[in-house]
Amino acid sequence: MPGFTISRRKMLAGSAMLLASTAMPALGWAQAPKKGGRLVLAADSEPRNLNPAIVASNGVFFISSKIVETLAEASFDGKDGLAPRLALSWEGAADGLSATFKLRDGVKWHDGKPFTSADVAFSALQIWKPLQNLGRTVFKDLASVETPDDLTAVFKFAKPTPFQLIRNALPALSSVVPKHVYEVGKIEDNPANTAPIGTGPFKFGEYKAGQYYRLTRNTDYWGKDEPYLDEIIYQVLPDRTSAASALEAEEIQLAAFSAVPLADLDRISKVPGLKVITKGYEGLTYQLVVEINHRRKELADVKVRQAIAHAIDKDFVVKTVFLGYAATATGPVPKNDPQFYTGDVPTYAFDVAKANALLDEAGYKKGADGNRFSLKLLPAPYFNETKQFGDYLRQALAAIGIDAQLVNNDSAAHIKAVYTDHAFDLAVGPPVFRGDPAISTTILVQSGIPDGVPFSNQGGYKNDALDALIAKASETLDTTARTDLYKEFQKEVAADLPLINVAEWSFISVARDTVGNIANNPRWAVSNWADTYLAG
Amino acid sequence: MNPLRRFLRTPEAVAGAILLAALIAMALIAPLLFPGDPQAIAGPALLPPFQDWSLPLGTDRLGRDVQAELFHGARTSLAVGLAAAAAALAIGSVVGTLAGFAGGLVDEMLMRVTDAFQTVPSFLLALAFVSVVGPSLGIVVAAIVLGTWTGPARIARAEVLSIRERDYVASARAIGMHPLEIAFREVLPNALPPVLAMSSVIVAAAVLTEAALSFLGLGDPNRVTWGGMIAEGRAVLRTAPFLSIVPGIALVLTVLGVYLAGEGIVETTAVRRGLS
Repeated sequence: MPGFTISRRKMLAGSAMLLASTAMPALGWAQAPKKGGRLVLAADSEPRNLNPAIVASNGVFFISSKIVETLAEASFDGKDGLAPRLALSWEGAADGLSATFKLRDGVKWHDGKPFTSADVAFSALQIWKPLQNLGRTVFKDLASVETPDDLTAVFKFAKPTPFQLIRNALPALSSVVPKHVYEVGKIEDNPANTAPIGTGPFKFGEYKAGQYYRLTRNTDYWGKDEPYLDEIIYQVLPDRTSAASALEAEEIQLAAFSAVPLADLDRISKVPGLKVITKGYEGLTYQLVVEINHRRKELADVKVRQAIAHAIDKDFVVKTVFLGYAATATGPVPKNDPQFYTGDVPTYAFDVAKANALLDEAGYKKGADGNRFSLKLLPAPYFNETKQFGDYLRQALAAIGIDAQLVNNDSAAHIKAVYTDHAFDLAVGPPVFRGDPAISTTILVQSGIPDGVPFSNQGGYKNDALDALIAKASETLDTTARTDLYKEFQKEVAADLPLINVAEWSFISVARDTVGNIANNPRWAVSNWADTYLAG
Repeated sequence: MNPLRRFLRTPEAVAGAILLAALIAMALIAPLLFPGDPQAIAGPALLPPFQDWSLPLGTDRLGRDVQAELFHGARTSLAVGLAAAAAALAIGSVVGTLAGFAGGLVDEMLMRVTDAFQTVPSFLLALAFVSVVGPSLGIVVAAIVLGTWTGPARIARAEVLSIRERDYVASARAIGMHPLEIAFREVLPNALPPVLAMSSVIVAAAVLTEAALSFLGLGDPNRVTWGGMIAEGRAVLRTAPFLSIVPGIALVLTVLGVYLAGEGIVETTAVRRGLS
């Protein structure tokens, strides 16, 4: 494999330079970002489809967000929590029937063609609305996109659509892909899905299955002096323990998305030259949720669901399963969300006696063997933490006389069992909160969703009041009124418990201290990294 | 010489027997020493061994007692090992006897089936079987048997081929015994010793296969298994290596014990047969 030999030699040269650089004294404190260098980082999965306009998921964004840009990116201090990317400004009409985007001038696609509003119109109508996993809901009422000139795109909606939702959806859902590449042939089979072409600071270089992805500098990038890095290499390291060793051996300079296991962070934070960073994931909050199959007669009783909520020691889960790198949850919106969160909801303190009393009240007395009834529990296999919480939940349920039998599946079998076959009683799932409850949160409790839609209400839960609330919020244009409706929504969910929110967590990055401008926005790991640099 | 005394003369056999006896004792007293669910949370998480004498081997990532898990894990390992070996020997010797005794087309067919199973690596076979059917203890045993019955079948067939030409088989035929009766009452019992000699290898392999399946997350999740414990500890290998090392040592000692004791028995019987 000649390709591998060359890459290895280059790697050695790179690390030799790095070693030499540590020998030199630091030249000053306030360093300006340095140009050049190759950033090598760990990638734990190898998505086949790299088109973020079709597959809006963090695994895809992690690589493709450097190549394909969105209209706007999340920001710590920008207006409405956004910073401009391909769009310079955005405005929603008062009637909720249109939204106008002014686009950036002088932007070129990686193949040299100019970026125009036609590309935005094409992406929105041909990809986001019909094909994208998240866009299907958010852009469902998008009727047309008008392009009065090359730098203006006007989204027209068939029904009033809250602009707050569109705005909140921009960072994750608005990846713009080139019309001239995608208008030929079937979009799903386009070769650019595996070798993406975008406007971003980095161009797609090559992909060697099982080895690496290589991105190279886009010399024509619109950002002044950006990007600073020459190359980004995603070294495929599927084994979580190997990322920590690779960092220590200086084979990689960055491990994002908690590639280093939580239990290793304490040790690795003491290694000279490495830093542990917990910021930069505020916009990517995962929620640890107990999904409930309401078709089971015991679980259809709210008292049983409350008993289960009382049986879970959320503090223990945060402390032991997440080693403190998480927060306890009160409801379906995470605490770190600046717009919608309310803590004013019914809460369920850890209280085994109360849980037992509730179950007795519901009429499920303990049998001779100490068990009331038994349940099938399916922990999602995607994270170590979801599996571990499954082990914990089994014990927590045993304490209140519910015998939970664990069923372990691989990812595909888990999704089929829970979201298509409904062959579960309880499941542990990690849904993602994406900045607005209407993007991927209300779908978890709303009724009338067809079988087989992953990460949606497949537990057979139906609550007319809650459905009406969700429907009303989806057409309320006034931001304050809409926010209030979602606060009401949180109260209702916490009271009736269609699912049980246990904890909220995000990810941790570990980097060598030469990597600069880390974690400078709330979606840093999946942002474009135009300003990331290697010092020294 | 008394076979027991001969057995006790070989030091490795004695070591094996002691290890095996310890394992069986662990499995038997586990529910007495550690009543209740071994997976119950017993203390603070990640307690190192020999810190707290109520939890001498420490606790895992959720605060479960490693010692209790180790003892209960012995039950699973032993149950899987014995059940798989018994089933593999039973199936293998029946198939081997039928093939060897009947000969002709039956022999051809049965042996080609055996070939088919033997050409697929037994661990892959087990892996595929469990991931399709779903993990539970019975399925894991069945999966292991799928890949191990072929060895006993081949050996039984070879033995039967030589035994069926003996005079007493001919005389059984002459007095009009039913061929199946001859096969299973006259031939099989005499073909068994070399087949049984494989049992220690099969038990050891079954224990390891079960551990490997559990390690890959394909064991029964509602039971403590050593392989599962090693897998669980792997995530914290650098900070709490004891979580993987303790069950790992148990696994090594078990396989070693089974193997040494098995070797001892084989040698003892071989010597006896040679003398007689």
